[in-house]
Amino acid sequence: MRNLGYSRSESIGSALNYILMTILVVACLYPFLNVIAYSLSSGRAILSGWVTFFPREIQLDAYRAVLSRKSIWDSMGVTVFVTISSTLLGLALTTFSAYSLSRRRLRGRYFLSLIFLFTMYFSGGIIPTFIVVKNLGLINKLGALILPNTMSIFNFIVMRTFFQQLPEELEEAAILDGCNDLCVLVRIMLPLSMPIMATIGLFYAVGHWNEYFNSMMYINDPAKFTLQLKLRQLLFSEELAQLSGNFDLMEGNNTSMPESLKAASIVISTIPIIVVYPWLQKYFVKGVMIGSIKG
Amino acid sequence: MNVASPGRNSLLACARRDYLLYLLCLPAVAYLIVFKYIPMYGITIAFKDYNLFRGIIKSDWAGIAYFRQIFSDKSFWFAVRNTLTLNLLVLAVSFPATIILSLFLNEIGSALYRRIAQSLLYLPHFISWVVVAGLLQNMLSVKYGSVNYVLTRAGFQPIPFMIEENWWIFTYVLAELWKSLGWGTIIYLAALSGVNESLYESAYMDGANKRQRIWYITIPSIKPTIVIMLILSISKMMTIGLDAPLLLQNAKVLDVAEVISTYVYKMGLERVQYSFATAVGLFQSLVNIILLVIANAITRAMGEEGIL
Repeated sequence: MRNLGYSRSESIGSALNYILMTILVVACLYPFLNVIAYSLSSGRAILSGWVTFFPREIQLDAYRAVLSRKSIWDSMGVTVFVTISSTLLGLALTTFSAYSLSRRRLRGRYFLSLIFLFTMYFSGGIIPTFIVVKNLGLINKLGALILPNTMSIFNFIVMRTFFQQLPEELEEAAILDGCNDLCVLVRIMLPLSMPIMATIGLFYAVGHWNEYFNSMMYINDPAKFTLQLKLRQLLFSEELAQLSGNFDLMEGNNTSMPESLKAASIVISTIPIIVVYPWLQKYFVKGVMIGSIKG
Repeated sequence: MNVASPGRNSLLACARRDYLLYLLCLPAVAYLIVFKYIPMYGITIAFKDYNLFRGIIKSDWAGIAYFRQIFSDKSFWFAVRNTLTLNLLVLAVSFPATIILSLFLNEIGSALYRRIAQSLLYLPHFISWVVVAGLLQNMLSVKYGSVNYVLTRAGFQPIPFMIEENWWIFTYVLAELWKSLGWGTIIYLAALSGVNESLYESAYMDGANKRQRIWYITIPSIKPTIVIMLILSISKMMTIGLDAPLLLQNAKVLDVAEVISTYVYKMGLERVQYSFATAVGLFQSLVNIILLVIANAITRAMGEEGIL
């Protein structure tokens, strides 16, 4: 770190640090590399062992088999729809309320903030929430995947802290020019908050993409399963499928085996995260830091 | 704000001036009422014999019968024990590991290398637990997993990572560590970047070697962060995510893998014991709040800013 000059033993220590860190990073990535290798290897190569970092006898049969299943595309469609709509909804609710409660002149803002913050520490739990969703008639509807978890209080705090840090003069000048609060938010504040909106939008999107529990609780119709729930079924139904001698997954394909099919499903359901990750990681550290300076 | 400032006591004038702001937070408040506060009211079913057809309000009161039932239920105490065991083990492993990793990362001279290492180490945080369970199955399965291949080729016995109780605990802790290790360093690295550079320089002038500089300057400077993080984690001891245990557990390891969250889920949604499961959830929430308040008091007593 600091350019303070090193003694001989300290240089060795520093080199060792690089080596240790590289080993740790490789170990951390190994599960991904291994699953990609499995998804691309032939069944024979997997059975013979030694598929670790790199695929052997490369073939795309597993991907072909997984992607030819209609149910995967159904789940993909559901997940994309749910992710986009609940992210937009969550972002709107978060931005509007965070801006509103970031204004110091607002009467009752402490009480209103308390309504938000209290839900971080106490909740009704899964059964009472389930009963509410059920009474709203959302069972087996995509609304059950979009509405109940659309907003996160952590993200609300991050947003509110961000708005509080913007200089008040901006707002005062706009109000003198005859702008109302809505116009201040849309014309002045939102353009300034694009980076934080991107971060929080991506946080929401990743969260919704990874969601399987709501789908498991609220959805009975397999055509409306999210991708993660579908993946869970594929991954953990193997024993059943094998016992009944019904290799439903393989669909007459005898060059790949369940292991590579599972691996391919994992890769397919994770690719979107890996693709948005470079953008995400540009912003999130800052977002996390703002959030940890608590409300 | 002195723009159009109304008289200090005229509530009505305030409401008229700021009605747009109130409207802006209305949708979020409505969301919270419907999906957070009404379920909180729903907790009353813990004290009722919840009847599906009569609904929450018309169901008969049962007093604390369900709490009696819980406390005399052996599997509930197993779930409490397992929750505490897993949480404590994860804390004991990942808490020091995160701090050590942060110190190591902080010592890396090349900014580029450090940034790349950080990005790659953060990645697991964004991976769903379903995928993590799949990755573990893929790697650790006794039959086809690459880890056991390598072990058997090297002359060892294959390890039943997912199906033997102690190995399952090991695997669970490892998975939690993998997922949270990198992400957890963010907060320490931020604290480390705030350490005054001149402290290091004067220590260097005084002949302190690197280990001494870390021990006497770096660690004391991030001590407040360490304390807060530790207290926060301890206050969450009774809470355990549902995803990780539910997705990693299987019938063979249930004795050590059934935790409070999975127990509530199974009692409530699989066995339709709504009142019983809600009572368990309420007990857990109350313990959490007590722990949080105690933790907050301890932090304040130590002269740190509280967490509440």
